[in-house]
Amino acid sequence: MRGFVATLLAVSCSAVALAGQRSPALPPSPPASLPELAPRPLETELRQRIDPATLQSQAPSANQPPQDEFSEPLSELPPEERMPAAPMVVAAYIFVLLAFFAYVFSLSRRLSAVKQDMARLETEIKGSRRP
Amino acid sequence: MTIVCAGLFAAAPILIALAPPERDMGLVQKIFYFHTPAAWMFLTAGVVCGIASVRYLARGAPQQDRLAWAAAELLVLFGAIALVTGPLWARKTWGVWWQWDVRLTSSLLGWMIGVAYLLVRRYAGPGSDKLAAGLALFGMANVPFIYISVNYWRTIHPPTTVVPRLPLSFGIPFYVSALAFLLLFVLLLRARVHLEEQRARLDSLYLSVDH
Repeated sequence: MRGFVATLLAVSCSAVALAGQRSPALPPSPPASLPELAPRPLETELRQRIDPATLQSQAPSANQPPQDEFSEPLSELPPEERMPAAPMVVAAYIFVLLAFFAYVFSLSRRLSAVKQDMARLETEIKGSRRP
Repeated sequence: MTIVCAGLFAAAPILIALAPPERDMGLVQKIFYFHTPAAWMFLTAGVVCGIASVRYLARGAPQQDRLAWAAAELLVLFGAIALVTGPLWARKTWGVWWQWDVRLTSSLLGWMIGVAYLLVRRYAGPGSDKLAAGLALFGMANVPFIYISVNYWRTIHPPTTVVPRLPLSFGIPFYVSALAFLLLFVLLLRARVHLEEQRARLDSLYLSVDH
């Protein structure tokens, strides 16, 4: 981004300097009484871009995470494209609860199966030891 | 410990609901309160599984093997929670469900190592305990990589400095939630190790019947 701004500054400065130079082949400048011509669109664009306030507003803020692609900030999306947050939070919360309950249920089932096997086996052992 | 854990899990949703919304992310930031503790427990499980596996390989103590197996199951459980809640948060905040950045990819890799551990234990037959223990070493080696990746690579995921700088209004519900997750992790680990101990007893009973 800084490189881009520096290039832009260099290009705009050289454009301004070139615009200020007078070629000897050109006719002399018109008298001051003539109405001033409106600035060309490119010049206006460049002037706007090298304006410090504009540069400040376009600079990335420090707390903005680095991104590999340009993406539109969520706050500027039109309302119909905004995604509600509540379903995401609720879905995440439900998933956490389901995962815990499923694991505890699976653990208790496995444990009760092992205990049943042990009880059955102990009964068998006791039965086989009887005369 | 069970009562304290239950109390914390009862209090955490209330504290999370009362916590103010974050300025930029709004309501969806509340996923943070259980996404990050789950991710921490996922990493803890990876370390416990790895250390127990090293000790099992070095000394051959069956208790360490049981502990490693229990930790591997919890690694998969807490990793699944972190890997599902993270994209739900990311979809709203980043605009995408998933990004192949270092943190997310290495976390997925760590979770898959945990799944591989469980598959090896279940289907690899005799000798699978040592094979799985070797696998757990790779899982443990991945843990510091997962943790520091966000600080060293340019990534979309927030760095680890977010949590120590939390304001009090975010910090209290977060640490209550983190403590609840930690206690639940310890309780589940103990319960799972107990299951393996019971299975070992059952095996010895079967052997005594055969002889």
